[in-house]
Amino acid sequence: MPISRRTLAAAAVCVVLPLSGCGSGDDSGSSDASGKIEGDITFQTWNLRANFKDYFEGLIADFEKKYPSTDVKWIDQPAEGYADKISADAAGGTLPDVVNVSPDLVAPLAKAGLALDLDKAAGQYRKEYLDGAWASHRIPGMSGTYAFPWYLNTGPLFYNKSLFEEAGIDPDQPPKTYDELFTDALELAKKSDGKVATLANVPTVEDFGRYGVPLMNSEGTAFAFNDAKGVELLTKYKELYDAKALDPQALTATPESSGKKFLTGAVAMNPGSALDLGNFKKQAPNLYRNIGITDQITSTGHVNMYVMGVMVNAQTKKKAASVAFAHYVTDAEHQMSFAKKVAIFPSTAGSLDDPYFTKEDGTDETRVRIAAAKSLKSAVNYTPVLFSEQMKTALRNEVAKALQGKESPKEALDNAVKACDTLLQQQG
Amino acid sequence: MAAVSRARRVRRQLPLSPWLFAAPGLLIIGVFILYPFVSTLVNAFTDKRTLIPGEFVGLANFRELLHDDMFWIGLRNSTLYVLGVVPALVILPLLLALLVQKNIPGITFFRSAFYTPVVASIVVVGLIWVWLLDERGLINSLLEAVGVGRVGFLSDQWLLLLSAMAVTVWKGLGYYMIIYLAALANVPRELHEAAAVDGAGAIRRFVTVTVPAVRSTMALVGALSSVAAFKVFSEVYLMAGPSGGPAGEDTTLVMLVQRTGTGLTGRVGYASAISVVVFVVTVALMLLVLRADRRGEA
Repeated sequence: MPISRRTLAAAAVCVVLPLSGCGSGDDSGSSDASGKIEGDITFQTWNLRANFKDYFEGLIADFEKKYPSTDVKWIDQPAEGYADKISADAAGGTLPDVVNVSPDLVAPLAKAGLALDLDKAAGQYRKEYLDGAWASHRIPGMSGTYAFPWYLNTGPLFYNKSLFEEAGIDPDQPPKTYDELFTDALELAKKSDGKVATLANVPTVEDFGRYGVPLMNSEGTAFAFNDAKGVELLTKYKELYDAKALDPQALTATPESSGKKFLTGAVAMNPGSALDLGNFKKQAPNLYRNIGITDQITSTGHVNMYVMGVMVNAQTKKKAASVAFAHYVTDAEHQMSFAKKVAIFPSTAGSLDDPYFTKEDGTDETRVRIAAAKSLKSAVNYTPVLFSEQMKTALRNEVAKALQGKESPKEALDNAVKACDTLLQQQG
Repeated sequence: MAAVSRARRVRRQLPLSPWLFAAPGLLIIGVFILYPFVSTLVNAFTDKRTLIPGEFVGLANFRELLHDDMFWIGLRNSTLYVLGVVPALVILPLLLALLVQKNIPGITFFRSAFYTPVVASIVVVGLIWVWLLDERGLINSLLEAVGVGRVGFLSDQWLLLLSAMAVTVWKGLGYYMIIYLAALANVPRELHEAAAVDGAGAIRRFVTVTVPAVRSTMALVGALSSVAAFKVFSEVYLMAGPSGGPAGEDTTLVMLVQRTGTGLTGRVGYASAISVVVFVVTVALMLLVLRADRRGEA
């Protein structure tokens, strides 16, 4: 039976119409968040239910009391595979209305039109937050800010005083500069016959940033960490690796495995936060008795900080309620009350001047908290928001090749930059 | 005759009933196997990313594979895994099955003990082995105590791959042992007795009686274990870390699929192309083993 042109056209329309709907924006993609705060919304957090169930249930109940026409459904996802869960939801069109994110998660969501531009939708709240924190959810090449800043974190460098002492290094004079760090590390490895390393991780993009290496060009369109300073840092690390001052298993280490090595005395220094002191006390009392605490080492004068954010799904049908709730979670009052429950720091302006972050009480925990709060005022989130997991792996693998001597530090960084640039272009 | 006509009548009245019975199974196969398979096949020819629908790019992904060093590393490691693991998983479980085949007091304990790694979670098993093989782990402490010195099981790319293979073999022994136990139960005792009467020793009887009798089972174990070995992920991921060992040199093809295709910036199209290669190779491997078995039988 011959098929008529009309039938063919109808079939084509049937096929093309649903396809053309994929990925297209609709009215719910606008940035207008005005209107009555009402409706059912979902709020997704990142592994927070186990320890802070009461806090979040109270927070949600208070919000619903303030806005009686709202109903917030709280979903908590485990830490493992969080990015994959968001990917699946985003791809499947089931992204919650309000989502706990980090800047590197926001970037692809914003590019796909799934994160609401808060400069437009909630610009009136901008002044409530620290400038640096608000800026941490801006994406190079795009205008706008795509998440409310939530809590910040940074921490000191912990060191094992007894290992320093055994190597003949004054445990009360920990390294303050990179040169001192490299000298002490080589000395420690030499004195322990290569049994005690000082560092357990290969340099990451944050390390390059803290060393003063420019990570991207000013337009944010290409990576730049293969300059002379970057090569200098990697060359130093190669020296440490050869002398076993950098742990031999550093090439496959994770932050968790490095932490364990520090606990067992296999590694002399490890970055951490105030939270770790409790762990040391509980899991390694000997280490806790010998723990030394010093500032993060940086050549730029700015320590590294980690930023958590709360974004609003640009496709939500309840924009007013979602923006109001995201702001409610991250406002000064609630960030402060959350900070008193766990060792995190508020990103709201003025909160770090609260006596809780300035007044000593003689305990190590408070000392670490005060030092961290002080350093956060000028801290930088060195991780470029466009630096994806694939880029992290590319950099890590090239760094490993340099440390193993398969490539020179310059070749390795050139290759890493090339790979990251390719991935950046593929991101679109 | 009446029963036959009643059956025909029932079939006429309920033409859909067989399909209704099969529907749950077909639905599951359709949703969880057929759809993802077809979707992967289609995506392999697009530049689809996690959040961005792709466009048809023809064979571009496959051409890119040819120039991707990491793909060749993955192919090398997955192939080495098959070559290292499959012979061990074909032979060792057979020997183990022969050991525990006899009904002697307490043998159930040993059968259960050998089977325990099979039911243990691969994550738990992986973490235990990482702890054992660590620079300061139990095995290195023992080696140091006997004067061998520490060995970089988890820092050398080849030792790492070998360690992961050892874990795969250790974990799979019990599973294939059970398959062999079932096959050995069907080997007529008379054959062994006749061979013994003819003066054949234990090794001779193993080669001339046991092996030919379980030949098909060996082919089955070879096919199953080669497919599983080529698709290895968990053991290497847990022991070598997410980046695939030092400089990614222990990355396997399935790890590469995971690393490339997941996350918010995942290249779904490219990862699908790698998946298609994995599929083609695993099917080829299976056919190769089964064909070799058929030739042997002939």
